Amino acid sequence: MSQPLATGKPRDRLSVQRLGAGWRAAAFALLWWVVSDGSMSSWWIGAPVVLLATLVSLKLVTPFSFSPVGFLRFIPHFIWYSLRGGMDVAWRVFHPLCPIAPTLIDFPLRLPSGMARVFLANTVSLLPGTLSAELESRVLRVHVLDGNKAVTPELMELERVVARVFGIALPADDASDRLS
Amino acid sequence: MTATDALSMILLICGGLFFLAGTLGLLRFPDVYTRLHALTKADNVGLGLIVAGLAMEAHNWLAVLKLLLIWGLVILASATIAHLIARGALLRGIKIWKR
Repeated sequence: MSQPLATGKPRDRLSVQRLGAGWRAAAFALLWWVVSDGSMSSWWIGAPVVLLATLVSLKLVTPFSFSPVGFLRFIPHFIWYSLRGGMDVAWRVFHPLCPIAPTLIDFPLRLPSGMARVFLANTVSLLPGTLSAELESRVLRVHVLDGNKAVTPELMELERVVARVFGIALPADDASDRLS
Repeated sequence: MTATDALSMILLICGGLFFLAGTLGLLRFPDVYTRLHALTKADNVGLGLIVAGLAMEAHNWLAVLKLLLIWGLVILASATIAHLIARGALLRGIKIWKR
């Protein structure tokens, strides 16, 4: 991927949604529909549960923006990361010498705090050789399985992809000092 | 056996191999952090392959959606819990293993 850094102009701003009560209720209703195999009579329980889940989620999670287009773009990235992550760790496990050289790094975050950061932290753990260990106010502390490999460029690329999922324009900061 | 059956079987066996890798990692890797690496990543791919293999044998789209939903919820839970365990270990001052 040789895309330029985000420069404050998200390409799909028009499709970005604020995830308020309506969208959440729709999402929970869809989940219920799938889980209950589309059975009509189950809605006697489903409707109150969907309502309750929506209220709880509004209480726990403040509204955040979400771009369906960005999310669809994220899926192939995610599958590719997952496959590589799984193959990488499986190779190290089956190797007679267990070739690992763990280290801890601090990855400076450009994403604003909130859902986007949580999403990034969760995805980092599925990337090849990285495990998110602590989310602080400015940095994400990452445990790296093989410290000989530069993981920062890959984390920055993931951060860009995640920023698009949430319709966020990343500040274009100086990338060169972070790659060192 | 149709081609779909064969492909489904290959996916299921590969999924099983990844679960084996995850479990072997739990036994072979030296500390809590490296073990979490093995479990989260290998099990995510293992379950993904098993879900893909089962989805090929599913009779309707709703069943496929349900399988994908299960996969999504499991990886959400495992990524979150892996993070919490790693964070808890760091806060308790457990040092990372070095060769």
